[in-house]
Amino acid sequence: MLLEVRDLNIEFHDHLVPETVVYDFDMQMQEGDIIGLVGESGSGKTMTALAIAGLLRRHDMKKTGQIIFDNKDLLTCPRSVLRTYQGDEISMIFQEPMTSLNPVMKIGKQVEESLLLHHKMSKEERKKRALEVLKEVELADPEKVYEQYPHELSGGMRQRVMIAAAIVGNPKLLIADEPTTALDVTIQAQIVELLKKINRERKMAVLFISHDLSLVRTLCNRVIVMKGGYIVEDASTEEIFLNPKEEYTKNLIAAIPKCEKK
Amino acid sequence: MKKKNWNLILGTVITSIMLLLIVVGFFFTPYDSQQMNIDLKLASPSLAHPLGCDHFGRDILSRVMEGAGTTFFVAIGTVLLGCVIGIIMGAVTGYFGGILDEILMRLNDALFAFPSILLALVFISLFGSGKYNVILALGIAFVPSFARIVRSEFLRCKSLDYVRAARLAGASHLRIMFVHILPNILPVLLSSLMIGFNNAVLAEASMSYLGIGVQPPDSSLGMMLSEAQTYLFRAPWYVLAPGVAIVLLILGFALLAESINKKK
Repeated sequence: MLLEVRDLNIEFHDHLVPETVVYDFDMQMQEGDIIGLVGESGSGKTMTALAIAGLLRRHDMKKTGQIIFDNKDLLTCPRSVLRTYQGDEISMIFQEPMTSLNPVMKIGKQVEESLLLHHKMSKEERKKRALEVLKEVELADPEKVYEQYPHELSGGMRQRVMIAAAIVGNPKLLIADEPTTALDVTIQAQIVELLKKINRERKMAVLFISHDLSLVRTLCNRVIVMKGGYIVEDASTEEIFLNPKEEYTKNLIAAIPKCEKK
Repeated sequence: MKKKNWNLILGTVITSIMLLLIVVGFFFTPYDSQQMNIDLKLASPSLAHPLGCDHFGRDILSRVMEGAGTTFFVAIGTVLLGCVIGIIMGAVTGYFGGILDEILMRLNDALFAFPSILLALVFISLFGSGKYNVILALGIAFVPSFARIVRSEFLRCKSLDYVRAARLAGASHLRIMFVHILPNILPVLLSSLMIGFNNAVLAEASMSYLGIGVQPPDSSLGMMLSEAQTYLFRAPWYVLAPGVAIVLLILGFALLAESINKKK
């Protein structure tokens, strides 16, 4: 078992009345799984992902439950332990490629960041690794991109760079938080293909968060549907699409635009 | 067609003239700035003394060159001191927030509430006057403005995705603060540095004018102004020379700061 989430509750305390955004979230993930997490805006998908990635370490919120990764509870372990996992075993790509790269750092430096932090490697080795992954994410001219700044790249290229930076340390789990939402449709398909390829070649588990069911259908082998902080349905992709049990899931599927002859 | 950035051009020209004057004054002045000559007391500008002489017959050009150097040194020292402490304070409060933020920022507010000259005056009366104490006193008085700017920028940056990404890569707090966020706030910091520099020039001048700043035999522009006011009508060139030097020093940096702001 790669990742097991048990009874995860996330509660904010920054207002007068505590607000719970995720209730009793349960999930298991094996190595090499691609799981889709779908739901409308505000259904708690991103919060769940951030919690798994260990990015919700704030004092004004309460989290209960367990997030067990590699036999370690990430929810309660000290930050120093968490940091040894972050970037090296778990990494994440974000929704907005325009803001997820540091505008004043060269692409190469940003891709190398997690190597610099986790591995004792010489400058040349790091550069070699970085160029390899930049090539792996199908960027046309890795040498050139390595020396460029984010504003010189297009949205699709930046998202590829983000993916490169996320997989450079060869993590076991990649969390993709709506990585295609800000991109146009043709680039979306390419990014999804890329994630598929990485999953296949590296046996990297992918937690794919999206509200686009048609993308989830082509990519994932299991789907978790969330609504209002609760898991509505959790089944294999075929099961969900052929035989949806819940009314909400049926509505989501009905919302996929169809190509039909009139 | 691209519009020319006149602020930048003018600012660069004025600032480089002043810097040239200061650097040259550091190694060479036309006359010894301490050399008195009672025959030339309040002499009007002439070929030998382009800016005339003061009430001791000292060459004003030489004294302005040296005084501008002192003023510049004090202003730079003040701004650097204020800026470094301000950055650390702003970075810590803006990044971590919470109770530490409350305590430090309220202290900051208290410091900000004092007029900076008054604060410096208290400091000087406790520790004595002189170049370095002026830098220390003004530097501390300048901390709050930098701390606020840095804090607000850190607040803005810390929730951005690339900071999250850096955290997720396993970067430590210090690394995120100074390697990832700080370079991003440099443009804002740079223009406030220049405005801070101007305020420091003015503050030094007014302190020296009040007689609590730089002490003789060091000369500074503010000190020259205060000495010259007695002879305002008998020898107007004596007042004009340091006055114009202060104006040019400030104008040059103000124009540069403005041009940086516009570029953003």
